[in-house]
Amino acid sequence: ERVTALFSQVLEAIDTRDGVFCAELLSFKHPHVANPRLQLSSPEDKCQQVLEPPYDEMVAAHLRCTYAVANHDFVEAYKSFQAHKEENWYVSCSHCLRGQAEQQLQKKGKGKVGDMLEKAAEQLMSCFRVCASDNRAGIDDSKKWGMLFLINQLFKIYFKINKLHLCKPLIRAIDSSNLKDDYSMAQRVTYKYYVGRKAMFDSNFKLAEEYLSFSFQHSHRSCQRNKRLILIYLLPVKMLLGHMPTTQLLKKYDLMQFTDVTKAVSEGNLLLLNEALAKHETFFIRCGIFLILEKLKIITYRNLFKKVYLLLKTHQLPLDAFLVALKMMQVEEVDIDEVQCILANLIYMGHIKGYISHQHQKLVVSKQNPFPPLSSVS
Amino acid sequence: MNRSAASRPRPHSRKAGGRRREEHCKTEEKADDVAPRGTCTTMCPISEVRQREAQNRLHHFEVLAGTERNRLPRADVCRAVKEYSRPAAGKDTTRASELRPPDVLLKTVCYLVDDVAACPSRQPWTEVYSFVFDRLRSVRQDMVIQRVSGPECASVLERTVRFLLYASYRLCGQPLRLYDPHINDTHLQESLSWLLECYSEGQHQHQDEFQALSLLYNLGSPRALQHALELPHKVRHSSPVQLALALNRAYMERNPVRLLRLAQRLDFLQACALHRHLLSCRRDLLLLYSHGHSSRNCRFPIQKLADILSLECSLAAQLCQTHGIHVNGDYVVFSKGSFTESPSEELQCAHMHKLVDDKQQDLSLSNIIHGIA
Repeated sequence: ERVTALFSQVLEAIDTRDGVFCAELLSFKHPHVANPRLQLSSPEDKCQQVLEPPYDEMVAAHLRCTYAVANHDFVEAYKSFQAHKEENWYVSCSHCLRGQAEQQLQKKGKGKVGDMLEKAAEQLMSCFRVCASDNRAGIDDSKKWGMLFLINQLFKIYFKINKLHLCKPLIRAIDSSNLKDDYSMAQRVTYKYYVGRKAMFDSNFKLAEEYLSFSFQHSHRSCQRNKRLILIYLLPVKMLLGHMPTTQLLKKYDLMQFTDVTKAVSEGNLLLLNEALAKHETFFIRCGIFLILEKLKIITYRNLFKKVYLLLKTHQLPLDAFLVALKMMQVEEVDIDEVQCILANLIYMGHIKGYISHQHQKLVVSKQNPFPPLSSVS
Repeated sequence: MNRSAASRPRPHSRKAGGRRREEHCKTEEKADDVAPRGTCTTMCPISEVRQREAQNRLHHFEVLAGTERNRLPRADVCRAVKEYSRPAAGKDTTRASELRPPDVLLKTVCYLVDDVAACPSRQPWTEVYSFVFDRLRSVRQDMVIQRVSGPECASVLERTVRFLLYASYRLCGQPLRLYDPHINDTHLQESLSWLLECYSEGQHQHQDEFQALSLLYNLGSPRALQHALELPHKVRHSSPVQLALALNRAYMERNPVRLLRLAQRLDFLQACALHRHLLSCRRDLLLLYSHGHSSRNCRFPIQKLADILSLECSLAAQLCQTHGIHVNGDYVVFSKGSFTESPSEELQCAHMHKLVDDKQQDLSLSNIIHGIA
């Protein structure tokens, strides 16, 4: 079948870092475009199975184009779109390819890759503007269909160069678009993944949970890799909202790095949490979730202090008891003043209902539900 | 000097990219272009000295003693320093005779520090600051045009950052027309990012110090934190960086008591870097305590509060009152309903500098900026 032959050519080009040839394959200049067996209307699944992002999407887009052109359905609008912007589109994609290839070749040349990615982003942005401002054609032929694809590519770059604030105008553009629920599921899954990660970064955890959950649930069943990637970000968010993953889930997606973290947080075991974070530090830092996982400390304090409360069976808890608990967890250099501060913060956040009495050196908690469930606290 | 051709510095600091591109000449865009190499051996190119002298545009720090009252004061060639000039169309900034090579730039910076900034007879310091700020900017401009990188670049930038950090503390509270903290901040961030980029290659003696300063100045910034987490093991585990990270953790966990306690361990310059965050940390402590200690019978001793705020009792009391917290003799009464966010005009950061002040002791400004503290 010609499709697999094309795939293997693309894969070979990727492996040999031949950006130029790859770009050529994906352009209309290559003779294969005339082949009717390559003209597929929904090639995404096949592509996802064989190729890794972003190549899967790019090849899928290319194959969709060949289909459209062959069918003469979108003739004038689509052809002109291709002829006009095709050069830029694929050139910038090959910039990306080269950028990623170079990244693997020279880990040192951080500056160079960043610049290339920025240049690629600039070109994609100009394509995007063309699509976004296309008010001429009817909805079927509109260039607006290209918007989400381009936005996803731009997101990828912005995350790589750590310029998340640039995502905001793009998000606004999609939010205000009437097409937003009509794009392909694959594109929407990718979009929600990035927007979810952005929400995480902005500490908007409820929103992050919504987006990442959508992304996870609607990800193609066979795409284990993608689901795992989404989960890496969904897990910390869910944990911050009080929902711990099962070991079963972690095993299924090969994310055992989270097991100790999960255990530590639910038990209020600060010592284990610190150890778990240190043990898998490299992995967490690389994924960019280390800082968010550190936020779990507050939940862990809450769980630890709840244990103290349950143990002492009183509503007037001596501050010293909490200090002892923290010292048992080998928290360095903690004193009564810090204990008061931690408690004050928990009260402020709504994790504890009560007040601290400095005169009596006690925490006085409400007789009703002094430690509200985590999911009810915003 | 073949270095600049062989190891081309990369364009840096994405944030200030636009500004820096402005300062490049157009020919720089060509891939095979070689960076201009300066040949000016004086702090100020002679042509500029003559020009400014003729136009009566010498700064009075540059004027030859005894000629100040002349119709056209004479320039003191040993004290004239090239000023910053905005790039403009048609202006050629790449004439070698007007560019100072790295060794001259370093000498210029040392002069600015030792003979101007640290000179006690020069008053008011706001004027000293304006002059040094501008002349340092010109030094950076020369570095950008010549694409200086590596240890030479770092030496200049380190002193610049220390100076700007010191200034951010010393001039805190001055009227806007004399000192603009926002402008200082912009240049400080720019210089700091450029410096950190210099550090990404090779070994640098002061790297630990500046990674820590960046973390303190940018307290709580996810970007600064992520950068620090990705540092090489040795740098990350150095004591200044570990201390700066500990402070950041305390901030992220919202534990101002711990943060202020850790701040006691900072040295003078580190405290200068952190200082702009102190007021909001103290305010946050009062907010948390207003909620955590909120009860009718609350009596929290002022002395204890002053201790954890690292303030004197009277200032602590004042700060409380500013935020609607009732002060009753030796005690304060915390109540979540009465806390107010709105900062009063009267009590400014500058009134609460003791934590930083105390650390300066008998350190000379010169030593502070050269890093021999």
